[in-house]
Amino acid sequence: MQLLPLSIEEITALTLSVKVALWCTLVSLVPGVFLGWLLARRNFPGKSLLDSLIHLPLVLPPVVPGYLLLLLLGNQGLLGKWLQENFGIAIAFTWKGAVVASALMALPLMVRSVRLAVSQVDLGLEEAARTLGATPWRVFFTITLPLAVPGVLTGLILAFSRSLGEFGATITFVGNIEGETRTLPLAIYSYTQVPDGDLHAMRLVLLSVALALAALFTSAWLERRATRMLGRGRGHD
Amino acid sequence: MIEFDLTLKRGNFNLRAALRSEAPVIGLFGPSGAGKSSLLGILSGRLRPTHGRIVIDGRCLLDTAAGLDVPAHERHIGMVFQDSRLFPHFSVRRNLRYGYDLLKAAERRFEFGQIVELLELGRLLENKPHQLSGGEQQRVALGRALLASPSLLLLDEPMASLDERLKSQILPFLRRVKDETQVPMIYVSHAINEVLDLTQQIAVIQDGAITAFGHFHEVLRDDRVLALAQSLGLDNVLNARILQHHPALGYSEASIEGFPLVLPLMDVPEGSVVSVVVPATNVALSRGPLQGISIQNQVPGTVTGIRTIGHRALVTVDTGVDIIAEISEKSVRDMGIALQQQVYCLFKTQAIRPLGRYDHTG
Repeated sequence: MQLLPLSIEEITALTLSVKVALWCTLVSLVPGVFLGWLLARRNFPGKSLLDSLIHLPLVLPPVVPGYLLLLLLGNQGLLGKWLQENFGIAIAFTWKGAVVASALMALPLMVRSVRLAVSQVDLGLEEAARTLGATPWRVFFTITLPLAVPGVLTGLILAFSRSLGEFGATITFVGNIEGETRTLPLAIYSYTQVPDGDLHAMRLVLLSVALALAALFTSAWLERRATRMLGRGRGHD
Repeated sequence: MIEFDLTLKRGNFNLRAALRSEAPVIGLFGPSGAGKSSLLGILSGRLRPTHGRIVIDGRCLLDTAAGLDVPAHERHIGMVFQDSRLFPHFSVRRNLRYGYDLLKAAERRFEFGQIVELLELGRLLENKPHQLSGGEQQRVALGRALLASPSLLLLDEPMASLDERLKSQILPFLRRVKDETQVPMIYVSHAINEVLDLTQQIAVIQDGAITAFGHFHEVLRDDRVLALAQSLGLDNVLNARILQHHPALGYSEASIEGFPLVLPLMDVPEGSVVSVVVPATNVALSRGPLQGISIQNQVPGTVTGIRTIGHRALVTVDTGVDIIAEISEKSVRDMGIALQQQVYCLFKTQAIRPLGRYDHTG
């Protein structure tokens, strides 16, 4: 089996996948950190409902969120129509839609990871920072967030990987358009549907494995570095 | 000037604490569960009281009646916790500068180098907190709090997690801070000897209320505090001036109000005044001085009070200072002890425990 060189179609699928995954990671960062912190540190009415809503994409068949996105952000959808008419932004059947779909699917992983990390940051340290004159914002950015960095990194890598593997929601929401929304899994799927596509599919499968492994190794390396930077946990240990 | 009057109702727990003091250092002393942590939480702004008022040096930090509640980060109330709570991801230097860097130059009470020198932190600046010993961590925590220029420093059992050796290493620094920084402090502890090393102004907190405040000598005799003091064996606190040490014989010669006293060997300079405790149960009474007895300390005085609790009697004898003897009701009857009678208080040298230096400047 000849692995190289990759065909134009294959390279397109690979670069698109990486682009979508990077954007997905970027887009889910702020809401993921905010929601993770919110669930770890605050009590408010409707907290368990919010928690459940965030986790829904994990337990639903991916087609369902994909279809709901289509209803909401599709060209005739509530929000989609408004965006199209006022800003000329089309989401459905574009790579941006693929980002939205995979971000939605990745968000629960991100939130879980951040939530766990934040809940392990000693509240006593935050309290100490307050008595030293730090506003709640400053406490968050100088104490809570840096100490939760390993968890945030894990969340980002999970989001990136989830996006690389996203299939159901993507194909439902943005279709399978070559060069626009045909990411690696969609390309693999497409090749398995045509005669003589097996070799292409296998090459892309191996590529996916390599990409996933690279993400995991990066994650482990970053986490080791972050843990070292943070010292060994609490001060008096 | 510290002034507060606070009420907190939380479940079954009621805190009703009021205090007004000009003392530079107040020792807040009380058994665990009495409300010490809640009180500190309210002062530092972490806990909100049901109602109340806090005024520090004329600045009102809380007045629920007026709807005023200065947030924690604007209160300028420094805290040193039992666990040092140093930021593990910062070096000692960045820990120290955390609050300091948030202040304008004009708001700073100390220079960075001044505190580093005072607490001898220079050697530690580039270390991470986990590389420090427990005592060093507490010194850094103390420095960090001071550099944030607090108008009041709360020390919440800062030595509770240190062993005796480390305690003796941090104590001189606390004294230095007290003597050289003029930052008012509230030092919380359930170990009174720790408190007395820094101040004689004691506030006692029991069951969510400050039951007594003043010089510890008077405070411990306050009726409401007596039971607590007795349960801790603090019923007779005497201040004795050390006259001479006899290390070879294992005792120190001292005097209280002119009467000679034989103490266990004390580790303080001759001429200094130490506070010692003699539990009331270890004090016996006699009608006259006794010869041919092993008990070294015989102090004459006048009976000024007799209180019976069950079958025990607490007899107060004025020897120049009051000494309380706890004897049986039967003894009181048999000996015919009555008010204004002349008696001798007898206690063995070994019954005397040192409590701390009464006046460490000698």
